Amino acid sequence: MTDVLRILVSPLLWLAAFSAVYGLHGSICGHGLTGTVSGVALPGLLLGAGYALAILAQLALLAAHYFWPHPSSDLVRFVSRAGGWVGLVVTIWTLLPVVSITTCS
Amino acid sequence: MNALRRHRALSRIWASEPGFRGWFSTVNHTDLGRMFLVTAFFFFVVSGLLAMLIRAQLATPHSAFAGPEIYNQIFTMHGTIMMFLFAIPTFEGLAVYLLPKMLGTRDLAFPRLTAYGYWCYAFGGTMLLVSMLLGIAPDSGWFMYPPLSGAIHSPGINTDFWLIGITFVEISAIAAAVEITVSILKFRAPGMSLDRMPIFAWYALVTALMILTGFPPLILGSVLLEVERAFGLPFFQAELGGDSLLWQHLFWLFGHPEVYIIFLPAAGVISTVLPVMCRTALLGYGWIVAAAVALAFLSFGLWVHHMFTTGIPHMGLAFFSAASTLVAVPTSVQIFAWIGTMWRGRPELHMPMLHIIGFFVTFVIGGLTGVMVAMVPFDWQVHDTAFVTAHLHYVLFGGFVFPVLAGIYYWLPHVTGRKRFFRLGEFAFVLVFTGFHVTFLAMHWVGLLGQRRRIPTYAPEDGWTAINLVSSVGSFVLAIGLAMVLLDIILNSVTAVRGRRDPWKAGTLEWAMMVPPPPYNFASLPQVTDREPLARDPDLALRLARGEGYLDSPRQGCRETLTVDVASGRPDFHVTYPSNTRLPIVMSAVTGLFFLSLLLKLYWLTPLALAGVAALACRWVWALGRRDDLPAQDVGHGLELPPAAATDRGPGWWGSVFLLTANATFFGSLLFGFAFLWTVAPGWPPPAWFTPSGLEVGIGLAGAATGPLAMRVAIRAVRRDANVLAALGLSFAAACAIGIACAAMMLRAPDPDGHAYGATLTVLGAYGLVHAVLAALMIAVLTAKVRGGLTSARRRADFPVAGLWIDYLAATATLILLAAHLPGFLP
Amino acid sequence: MGTTTLVTLAGCEGALSVVDPAGPAAREIATLWWVLLAGATLIFALVMVLTALPFLRRDGPGSERHGIRTWVIGLGLAFPMAVLAALLAYGLVIGERLLPRAGDEVVEVAATGSRDGWLFTYPDAADRTTSAVLHIPAGRPVDVVITTGDVIHAFWVPRLAGKLDAIPGHVNILRIEADAPGTYRGLSAEFSGAGYGDLTFTVTAHDAAGWTAFLAGEPE
Repeated sequence: MTDVLRILVSPLLWLAAFSAVYGLHGSICGHGLTGTVSGVALPGLLLGAGYALAILAQLALLAAHYFWPHPSSDLVRFVSRAGGWVGLVVTIWTLLPVVSITTCS
Repeated sequence: MNALRRHRALSRIWASEPGFRGWFSTVNHTDLGRMFLVTAFFFFVVSGLLAMLIRAQLATPHSAFAGPEIYNQIFTMHGTIMMFLFAIPTFEGLAVYLLPKMLGTRDLAFPRLTAYGYWCYAFGGTMLLVSMLLGIAPDSGWFMYPPLSGAIHSPGINTDFWLIGITFVEISAIAAAVEITVSILKFRAPGMSLDRMPIFAWYALVTALMILTGFPPLILGSVLLEVERAFGLPFFQAELGGDSLLWQHLFWLFGHPEVYIIFLPAAGVISTVLPVMCRTALLGYGWIVAAAVALAFLSFGLWVHHMFTTGIPHMGLAFFSAASTLVAVPTSVQIFAWIGTMWRGRPELHMPMLHIIGFFVTFVIGGLTGVMVAMVPFDWQVHDTAFVTAHLHYVLFGGFVFPVLAGIYYWLPHVTGRKRFFRLGEFAFVLVFTGFHVTFLAMHWVGLLGQRRRIPTYAPEDGWTAINLVSSVGSFVLAIGLAMVLLDIILNSVTAVRGRRDPWKAGTLEWAMMVPPPPYNFASLPQVTDREPLARDPDLALRLARGEGYLDSPRQGCRETLTVDVASGRPDFHVTYPSNTRLPIVMSAVTGLFFLSLLLKLYWLTPLALAGVAALACRWVWALGRRDDLPAQDVGHGLELPPAAATDRGPGWWGSVFLLTANATFFGSLLFGFAFLWTVAPGWPPPAWFTPSGLEVGIGLAGAATGPLAMRVAIRAVRRDANVLAALGLSFAAACAIGIACAAMMLRAPDPDGHAYGATLTVLGAYGLVHAVLAALMIAVLTAKVRGGLTSARRRADFPVAGLWIDYLAATATLILLAAHLPGFLP
Repeated sequence: MGTTTLVTLAGCEGALSVVDPAGPAAREIATLWWVLLAGATLIFALVMVLTALPFLRRDGPGSERHGIRTWVIGLGLAFPMAVLAALLAYGLVIGERLLPRAGDEVVEVAATGSRDGWLFTYPDAADRTTSAVLHIPAGRPVDVVITTGDVIHAFWVPRLAGKLDAIPGHVNILRIEADAPGTYRGLSAEFSGAGYGDLTFTVTAHDAAGWTAFLAGEPE
C-alpha cells in the first residue's frame, strides 16, 4: 500500500494545488478583491504565492523520491520518480496562466 | 490424485447450479463476467438503434420522422445508455472475466459483491428501458443541466428516471471498482509482485481507482437534484440561493474522468493484445504504467473545459486549457510506445490487429480534434455544435469500441473454446471502419457550418442537407458492419470447430488453462517469476492441471484461494470464498425497491425497503461466520497460511478502505458544493443563519472522540480473547450521540426549502445521521456475533472493519458539526 | 481576396459558418482553426506513416533502450510537449485579445434568453426593446450583456464571434463586432428543451447613420 501511495503522492499534490489555486482565483474574482501590497496587485500576489508554493512542494517531493530509501522493486521506484516529474511539470504547466493571463475578465 | 480427478473434484466445488437457474445464484466471476458483457452488448444494440433513429431524423431537412418530444428522449437515451449501460459495464465485464485468470487466482475478492453489482446494473438498466418503452424517458440531454431538468421546466417523471436509475446503476460501478482494486492488490498468484503484473491489471487498477473518485460527484449531483425535484430543497435555483453551475461542476467533475475511465481499460486491451499480434514484448512497460497514472490524475483537472462558454474568467479557463493540452502527452507516450512495439516485432494482420489499426486511425484523429477544442477561443465557436459530437465519437468509438472489438476477437477463443471458422469479420471491419469515418468526418464539417447538436431538424437554406445525408448513409453502413460483427461473433461461438489452448501463443496466465475455462480457473495456483509465465514455460497449463502449484488438493466443499502481500506478491493468508447463493439478487431487488419507492413517490415503502436492505446485509455478514477457529492451512510447497479472518487487514478491511475512499470523495464534493454556493452563487447571504448550540456540538464531538477510542480498545481486547462487550457498548453509545447531534442540526436547519443554505445543512446533517446509524448497526451486528460465539482472536477481522467506519464517522461528523455551528459562534 | 477564394473553394460559406467570418473575433478564431487543421493533418500523416511502416519493413528488433529513447521520450514526450506549448500560448494570446475590454468606441446592448425567444434592450435608447432581432452598429466593438429569464441558453452569432452562455443568476459579457453593415444569423446554442431548434435570432448591423436613427427610435 505504501508503494501505491508513493506512486500517487506527487500527482495528488498537484491535484490539490491545482484545485486550491483555481478555488482561490474563483473567490478573488467572485468577491472582486482588489488592492495592492507595495505596488503589486494583491490578487496577482496571492495567486503567484500559491504557484510558487506549489512548485516548491513538488521540488521537495521530487527530491524525496530520489533520496528517500526505497525498499521495494525497480518498477515502483521508476514509476514513483516518474510521478514526481509528472507532478512538477504539470504544476508548472497548468498553473502558468497565473503569471501570464489577466486575473479577472 | 490425477489431473482428471482433481478437475472433477474442483468442478463439483466450484460449479454453478445447472441451467438458467444458475444465473440467479452464481457468484462465479467467469459467469458474471460473461453476463456483464452480454447485457452490455444488448444495451449497445439498443443504443445503436437509437443512434440510427437520430441519423434517420437528420438525414433530410424538415424531417417529420420524430417530433421534438420523442427526439429529445432518443438522443438523451442514446448518450445515457452508451455511457452508463454499455461502456462502463463492458469494462466491468472484461475485468471481472479476465482479472482473476490473468492474476493467476480463482476468483475476485468478493464474489457475492460481483453478483450484487451485476443485478443492480441489470435492474437499473431495466428501469431506464421501461421508461423508454412507455415514452417517458429522460429528455434533457445526457448531462441533464438544471434548471431545464428541474421541477419547474421538467415536471414529468422523465428526469427522475435518469437520476434514480443511473444512481442505481452506479452502485454496480462502485461495487465493481472496490472489487477490482482489492482483487488486484491482494488476490494474485504467489510471486506476482507489482512489477510482474500483466499490464492490463495496471490499467484496471488505475481505472477502478478513478471510478472510486470520479463517480461520487455525479452520485452527489443526482441525489441533490432529485431532492430538489422531490422535496423542493433549492440547490440549483438561483433565485433561492442555489446555482445551476454547481450541477455543471459536479457533473463534469465526474464526466471528464469518465472519458478516461472508458479509454484506459481499452488502452489496457491494446497493450495486452498488440504485442502478441506483433510477436514481441510491450515496449516501455514502466513508462506505460507511469503514463496511465499520469493520465488518470490529469483527467481530474480537465472538467472545466466542458464549461468554457459559461463565463468563467479567462484565467480560470486558461488553467483548464493548459491541463487539457497536457493530457495529450501521456496519451502520446502510450501511442508511440505501441507504435514502437510494432517496429520491434513483426505485426500480423489477424482480426484483433485489424481493429487495432481502426483504433490507431480513429483515436489519433479524435485526440487531435481534442487538442483543438482544448483551445479556449476555438471551443467558443464549436462548443455545442456537431463538431464536438464528432470529436467525442472519434474518441469514444476509436478509443473504446475498436479496442473492445479487438479484445473480443482476441479472447473469444478463450470464452468459447472454439476457433474462428466463418470469415465474416474482415468484411464487417471494412464496413465499420468506412461507415464510421464517413458519418463522423462529415459531422465535423457541418458543425463548423453552424449545425448545433441536439436540434431535431433544420431548413434546406442552412446548407447542411448534402453533408447530413452523407453522414446518415455512412451511419447505416456502420450499423450494418456492427450487425455483421455481432453475427460473426455469435456464429463463431455456437458453430465453429473446437480450438486449441493458447491459439495466439500469448504469455499471460489467462491462457494457462483449458478453454472454455473451468469454474475454478486453475487446478493449482502457479508460482510466478516473470511477466509472461506462459512464454517462459509453455507447459505451465499441464503442470498446473497435474497439481504442481499451490492449493492442489481440493478440500471438501471449500472454494479456496490465497492472498498475497501487495508489493512483493509473497503469499500471506488463506481465503475461503462463499458458494452459490441467491442473496445478491434478492438484496439488489430490495435495493431496487428502495429506488422504485423514490421514483414513484411511494414514501411509505422507502423505510421498509431500507430495513429490508439492512436485514439482508446483516445476513450477508453473518453467513461467513464460523463457530470454531480454523487452523493454519497447508497450501502446498511446504507453505502454511493462516486464515484471512485471523488478521486485522483482511479482504473486508481493504474493501472498506476503498469504499470509504469513494465515500470521502462524495463527502468532499458535498463540502465543495457548500463552499461553492457560499462564495459563487447569487442570492447569498441567506436570510437567516443557523443558530449554533454548544450542547449539540458538545454531544457530537464527545461521541466523535469516544467512538474511535472505544473501538480501538475493543480491537486490542479481541486480539487477547478478552471481553469486548463493554467497549463495543461504549462505541455504540458514541455513534448514537453523533447521530443525535446530526439529527438535531438537520431538524433545526433554517428554511431548507427556502434557501440553499438551509438545504445544504439539511443534507450535511442527514449525511452524518446516515453514517451514525450505519456505524451503530455495524457495532450491533458485531456485538451479536460476539455473543453468538462467532468471534475470537483468530476470527477477528470484522473488528477493524467496524473500526474504520467509526473513524470515518467521527472525522466527517466533526467536520459537519463545525461547518454548521462554527460560523454562528464567530463574531 | 485570397481568403475569400479559399473559403468558397472549400465550401465554407454559409450564414452560420464559423469559417466564413464577418468580424474580428470570428476571423481570429477562423485563422486559429486553419492553423490547427494544418498542424493536425501533418501530425496525423506522420503517425499513420509510422504505423504503416512496420507492416512493410523486415529488419530485426532494436534494443529496448534505443526503442524507449526514440519512441517514448522523443516522439511520445518531447514532440507533443513542444507542439502543445506553442499552441497553448497561441490560444491563450487570442483568448486574451477577444476579452471585452473597456474603450471609448464600445457600445453596450443587452440580450435576455428565454424559451420563447431572445429579447434585446439598449442602454443607449432606454425605451427600445426588440425581440428576435439585435441591432448593433457596424465597425464598432459591441458588448452583449447576456442573461436569461428561465433555463440556460447560449448567445451565438457564428460569423461574428464565439458563444457565451446565459445562466440564471449570472451576467456574462460577450464582445462582438461586425466588419460591415448587414444581417447575421444568430442561434441559441445550449439545449433548452422542446422548441430548441427554432430558438434563433438575427443581428442587424447598421452603418453610423442607421445606428443613430435606430437609437432615435425610428421604426426598423
